[in-house]
Amino acid sequence: MTVTALALALLAATAPAPPPYAGAYQPVGVDEIGAWAEADEDERQLALSPLLIRDAALDAYVRRALCDTVGAARCAGVRVYVLRVPLFNASMAANGTMRVFSGLLLRARSEAELGAVLGHEFGHFERRHTLAQFRAQRTGSDLLGWGAVLAAMVPDADLRRRFATLGRSVYGALYRFSRDQEREADRLGIGYLNASRLRPQAAAQLWHSAIAEAGASAVARGAHRPRLDRIGFYASHPPEAERAATLDALALPDATDRDDGADRHADALAPWLPLFLDDQIKLNDFGASAYLIAACAARGWTAALWRARGDLYRARGNPHDLVNAARFYAQATALDPSLAAAQRGLGLALVRTGRLAEGQAALRRYLALDPAAGDATMIAALIAAPEDR
Amino acid sequence: MRYPLLPALLMLLPAPADANAYRAQGKPVRVARTMTVTPPRDWNQLSARPGRKAEVWTLDGERLNAVTWFGGIAPGEPLLREPRRRRTLPRYSDAMLLAEIPELLESTYRSAGGIADFTLTTAASDPFLGHAGIRFGYAYVDADDLPRRGEARAAIVAGLLYIVTFDAPRTDYFDRLLGDVHRLTDSAAL
Amino acid sequence: MGTGLATRLTIMLLAPALTLAPASPAAARQRSAQKTGFTLPAGSGRTILLIRPSIRVGARSTGGMFEPNGDWTDQARRNIETALAAQQQALGNRVIPAPIADGDAARLVADYAALFAAVSQSVIRYQFFAGDRLPTKKRATQAGRFDWTLGPGIARLPGARDADYALFLSTSDAYGSTGRKLLQIVAMLGPGIPLSAGEHAGYAGLVDLRTGDLLWLNADRAMGGDLRTPEGAARRVQQLLADFPGSTPAPR
Repeated sequence: MTVTALALALLAATAPAPPPYAGAYQPVGVDEIGAWAEADEDERQLALSPLLIRDAALDAYVRRALCDTVGAARCAGVRVYVLRVPLFNASMAANGTMRVFSGLLLRARSEAELGAVLGHEFGHFERRHTLAQFRAQRTGSDLLGWGAVLAAMVPDADLRRRFATLGRSVYGALYRFSRDQEREADRLGIGYLNASRLRPQAAAQLWHSAIAEAGASAVARGAHRPRLDRIGFYASHPPEAERAATLDALALPDATDRDDGADRHADALAPWLPLFLDDQIKLNDFGASAYLIAACAARGWTAALWRARGDLYRARGNPHDLVNAARFYAQATALDPSLAAAQRGLGLALVRTGRLAEGQAALRRYLALDPAAGDATMIAALIAAPEDR
Repeated sequence: MRYPLLPALLMLLPAPADANAYRAQGKPVRVARTMTVTPPRDWNQLSARPGRKAEVWTLDGERLNAVTWFGGIAPGEPLLREPRRRRTLPRYSDAMLLAEIPELLESTYRSAGGIADFTLTTAASDPFLGHAGIRFGYAYVDADDLPRRGEARAAIVAGLLYIVTFDAPRTDYFDRLLGDVHRLTDSAAL
Repeated sequence: MGTGLATRLTIMLLAPALTLAPASPAAARQRSAQKTGFTLPAGSGRTILLIRPSIRVGARSTGGMFEPNGDWTDQARRNIETALAAQQQALGNRVIPAPIADGDAARLVADYAALFAAVSQSVIRYQFFAGDRLPTKKRATQAGRFDWTLGPGIARLPGARDADYALFLSTSDAYGSTGRKLLQIVAMLGPGIPLSAGEHAGYAGLVDLRTGDLLWLNADRAMGGDLRTPEGAARRVQQLLADFPGSTPAPR
């Protein structure tokens, strides 16, 4: 898509309704048939991957979010695979395979936010962006291949400088091409949401959250907040702030009171939330994890969320962190005294802050709740003889 | 193409200048500059190191069996080497309980190797290097989609952390070599 | 593709393709080995279970990118399986394709395929490649031993009860495009840079279905035979199985 077309799209009050769907598509030409064959081979592996989450209820929910967003006709040919990968991402292959990472499910706050990402990916698929990108890269690298050989033929410093400039402009063009594809996919994604029964304003909300999370992560590491409003030369995507603003502008204004499916999302995620939070916390990204726990808690603090917060603070382990961790675990055990992991965390945090007797009592409750725990003998030893430190 | 954790961690290092070393049966040898080990059978030490205070022993290559020794990790240090500008690994603290060392290793594997599926399976109090210690088991799926199991032993001596881990594919390799690894780590002393 | 913080671009992958990747001189490197004492004499009538081969055929663009080609890959798969069956029949063995499995059985096959890949990569790096050779493996080689295994659990593979050996095969081929070949000529005539036009690599391994022992492994980074034709596939199979225990040496 050209820059002019993009500007025109931005001028329009809202994104256009999706074009009529062409229906079941078959690949055309050597490049596309090759890409499909590779994607089919990858899908064979994917179906057997140990990271694949095999849960019919979760699959059905993610599929529903896709179908509610893009419509029944478009979603009919898509195969959805949910993978246990704690990253904010999803992808769609040429042959209709959609990969959804657990990290995306953890970050979406509603079915509409999830649908916004799945619709964006479907937009890439519908417009066959992978193929266009492959061809652009091939053209660019062909040019550089000739440039490199020709530059090597003439041992001239000026020519070498010009080759470096050529490389820079080829790379710049490829990244620009990619950013424009992302913009088009965003525009298609919000178009699907506008035409659906879901609340399209959710799309921008997800990007506002992503910006806030990146900021929280940087601050906790003692770094500057990342600039998410400027285009980097090597950026494959438009800056997050631009995406949020564009999606805000393109969302149908009179659709703000539509249902965003926040309850459906929370219900579908509930059985998996403790595991997904655990996967996130152990990535050792304190700021991002704290932000995500708080975001989940906007619907109300649960025992699972207090326990996750306790784990996060105990893992960082500064003296005041341990005091806080004990407080958070205590909130968890007050809400749900049978939550064994919270009793364990409470006991360890109390022992480390010198409250030995209380800590041992919590560890005893942990062993009573889960006598077959894998670390039962280690914890029993700790109760019998607390480490001298 | 995705690569498994251990080779990826070894990649952090400059190309090895020395050849892989022979660790002959019955010959005491210094390990990770701090421990002494008398191998009950022949082993190899890889020239590449995953961290300044770590070294890897293997029989068949690190994808199939890797014994990684971490010697004398000080408070504030991570187990593995990391780029200076991206300090993303968890750090050891001498305020940690032995019972929490498995969580330190888990978080290290997850944040260094991008591992999503990792489970601590067992933990028991067990002396290591002649000091109070912990022995724990774990299972994970590495980036090469080859499910692995691991067992580690750790002790904290004078505020410094000592760990030895054994990682191998859960298919055949882990169970077959666990006895050899036990005899090897039993021989470790400070 | 991809949405958020992680990049979806493969552009960074372009960089290695653009470095002109001179054709590597034949490295001092062993190509194949077999377990001591293992032979498979012609006419011994053994059954070989063929694990679904990994086959990838495409072209190499002028700039060095791999261009997958679905039709070539399909042709190569058919041609290789036909050539393999014909060759083993001539040697007096029977090749049967591994049954199509699903559920837990399919995941078991995937586990063993991943384990075989890990074992063969270890053999190539730590035994065949002299620079990285493990001292214990060097001693074993000197003592005439080739000790590598996938373990006896392999007997649980679907189809294992009806066969003696499992054969794992993998090939990866990139044929130089016209543009790539032109660039190759100009690079050679001009600055004298030897560029490789394409890539033709493959490996094959035979595993005992009772013990799991690796009986024989062949790995080559430069192979002949155009898989897109039946004759070329026959030549490739002959090369891949060149030192196949019990076979007559293939013409190189």
